[in-house]
Amino acid sequence: MTALHVINISAALAGGMTAFFVVLLYRRWNQEATAEKKRDIFAAITRSYLHRVAGKLDQGPATPWSNDDKLAAVSHIHLLLRGGERNRLMELAELDGLLRATLRRSRSLRSARRIDAIRLLQQFGSEVCIGRLREIFTRDRNQAARLEAAFALASIHALPPPRETIRILGMFERKSNRLDSALLRASAPQYKDQMIMLLDDPLPNSKLALIIDALGWSEDAAVLPTLERANSFNNSEMRSAALRAAAKIGHPGAAQWVMQSLDDPVSFVRVQAANSCASLGLRDAIPQLLRLKDDDDLWVRLRAQYALDALECAWPNDAMTGAVA
Amino acid sequence: MSGTEIQLVAANAVLYLAFGCFMVVAARNAVSAFQLIIAAWVFATRTRPSKSSSELWQRYGDLALPVSVIAPAFNEELSIVEAVSALLALEYPQHEIIVVNDGSKDNTLGALIDGFDMEKCERTQIAVLQKTKILSTWRSRRHPNLFVIDKENGRKADAANAGIGFARTPLICIIDADSIIEPDGLLRAAEPFMHDDGRLVAVGGTIRIVNGCEVKGGSLRKIGVTKALVPRFQVVEYLRAFLSCRVANAHTNTLLLISGAFGMFRRDVLIEIGGYRHDTVGEDLELVVRIHRHMREQNRDYAIKFVPDIVCWTEAPANLAGIKGQRSRWQQGALETLQRHRKMVFNPRYGRIGMIALPQMILEDIIGPPAEVIGYLVVPAAILLGVLDPIMALAFLALTVLFGTGLSLGSLVLEEVQLRRTSSAHDLYRIGEAALIENFGFRQMNLLYRLRGIGSFYRSDTTWEAVPRVGFGKVK
Repeated sequence: MTALHVINISAALAGGMTAFFVVLLYRRWNQEATAEKKRDIFAAITRSYLHRVAGKLDQGPATPWSNDDKLAAVSHIHLLLRGGERNRLMELAELDGLLRATLRRSRSLRSARRIDAIRLLQQFGSEVCIGRLREIFTRDRNQAARLEAAFALASIHALPPPRETIRILGMFERKSNRLDSALLRASAPQYKDQMIMLLDDPLPNSKLALIIDALGWSEDAAVLPTLERANSFNNSEMRSAALRAAAKIGHPGAAQWVMQSLDDPVSFVRVQAANSCASLGLRDAIPQLLRLKDDDDLWVRLRAQYALDALECAWPNDAMTGAVA
Repeated sequence: MSGTEIQLVAANAVLYLAFGCFMVVAARNAVSAFQLIIAAWVFATRTRPSKSSSELWQRYGDLALPVSVIAPAFNEELSIVEAVSALLALEYPQHEIIVVNDGSKDNTLGALIDGFDMEKCERTQIAVLQKTKILSTWRSRRHPNLFVIDKENGRKADAANAGIGFARTPLICIIDADSIIEPDGLLRAAEPFMHDDGRLVAVGGTIRIVNGCEVKGGSLRKIGVTKALVPRFQVVEYLRAFLSCRVANAHTNTLLLISGAFGMFRRDVLIEIGGYRHDTVGEDLELVVRIHRHMREQNRDYAIKFVPDIVCWTEAPANLAGIKGQRSRWQQGALETLQRHRKMVFNPRYGRIGMIALPQMILEDIIGPPAEVIGYLVVPAAILLGVLDPIMALAFLALTVLFGTGLSLGSLVLEEVQLRRTSSAHDLYRIGEAALIENFGFRQMNLLYRLRGIGSFYRSDTTWEAVPRVGFGKVK
């Protein structure tokens, strides 16, 4: 290669880079220049939808708005509305064909675009959306998209029964994470009986512990006998999960066995028991907690002190339950 | 041997030396180009992060693990109250702020006591990792999640270690007290831990330059780019380092550095490895390399991630004098780390870290700077000796400059398309302009500072040159 070649290549590269940079600058400048107009359009779309939601007459625009602009406005407004108004907004958006574009996007080849669409489908929340979300949840080739669909379904209370959720997401064939736990917790209010049945399945203890923990989010004190039974199992992880669940339910019916767990042979369970005593506001546990201040395990001592501080301040709260080391 | 023969041998030696230096520069550029391509692919295929903090909160509010934010502070009397207020205001369900007053000579502790109604308290230290004495511990009557440790001076590593020892949460976020974390930064940093099945040990974020931005009450009010050239050059450098290099390294599991200005770690792992080392000036790099070493020696499955959307703003040195100390220290820290962990280099036991990441660091930090400097010296010599065509030398210089500028512009494109933390087209232009100008002077000065760092390393220099800063309110 001669010097001339190199100079020519350099010149071509420099020209290309300059052109590219100019395009980048122009793109940004253009967006800035039209920002005010965009804001006006956004405000007009918002006004129009709010009028239509309230049943008022709306003239509509002189020039039609793009679907992308309308979708952006609807995504914004839906966060501000509640109940019937929000449902009407989403119905109107569906009538305007915005859902069609989102459904199309949910079939994109790129998983990132499908995930974007899932988040929008979650906002719409209609039967068509639930159907499409279920389809993604069960058939999408991408695990992240399936998980995202599961979350969308959970947020609109449309998750399938836990056994199906566990199977589809392969939850028990891999190591569990906090999102798995969150999905099971989200299923608990709707499917607590099925979750109790799952406890009789031949599952590893760590998975059973996940289910026991989720029962705490069932918002139903009827699960307390199940939790009490779980608290008598040999596995410490399951006993700990039962204590966490009892604390979440917050029913005094669990007081006796929660306090008994302060004497559990496993330190991690004692830590959880101390937390649960604080969450349940069990002032009767104070003598036992005082004794735990001399426990061999540092974390038990710390949590016992924490629980005592909380009980002496009559300051039980749920936030404490999450702070277990 | 006749004089002509000697001249010929010398000329050939100079030519080969020039060629060798060119090859080193080309290799570094090739690595950077490869990283840029990987980063572009990662950005193009990733799921877009949640746009707003409310969306993040809605998704992860119930799931986020409790975090202790450790902020070592030394002589921060004037800004500490604002900085801590901003940390308390971070959007996170359960976070505790642990400020470590590292033997400040000014009234940093007094400012904290007055500003947050602090009272002395007794608190058990779970692990003693610091080398210096803890003088007292304080808690705020107004903010139950604010805790202050007052200790003897022992530099940042020691202060962070003291904070780690007192932390009780599963996650620890270590920051600089004078850095500004975006309000949703903690939530974004904790997000990967929610998807984690126990492998993830640390998450790093992007560091951006606050010079030119408007800061009020410890929070960023308006993003801007300074007119001053030196901080602007650093904006370009940081874009290249964080949006191209770190993204690519994290994607290939070869990330060696989580910046000391912002990093989230699992507490148990930090305690297991004994926290930061006190005897190095590059403690943040050394920590991550040691985590890799520890996990691989124990055959444990682990991951270290980088999330470009976590943005932490920090003040950059405003002049060359400030950069001199900073870059020398970085260079010295890198060499100290390489020396300490030399056993890992080209050792298959350490997988990609031993076979790719550390050799790349050798190219970048040991061979690269001297080779580039020698290149600048021998090319004119080769021209004078008549063995190199001046036009050819000029042509290759032009190509190298273009390559460097191209890499910077590539990173700028990623920033513009993906993160967009530049406020206007004018700011974008200013950064682009700096990407070109930095090739003529700044890069060469930087090389000299790095050579100075190599000198400090060989002298085992342990003195700490404070980087002069002008403060958020005044940065231009």
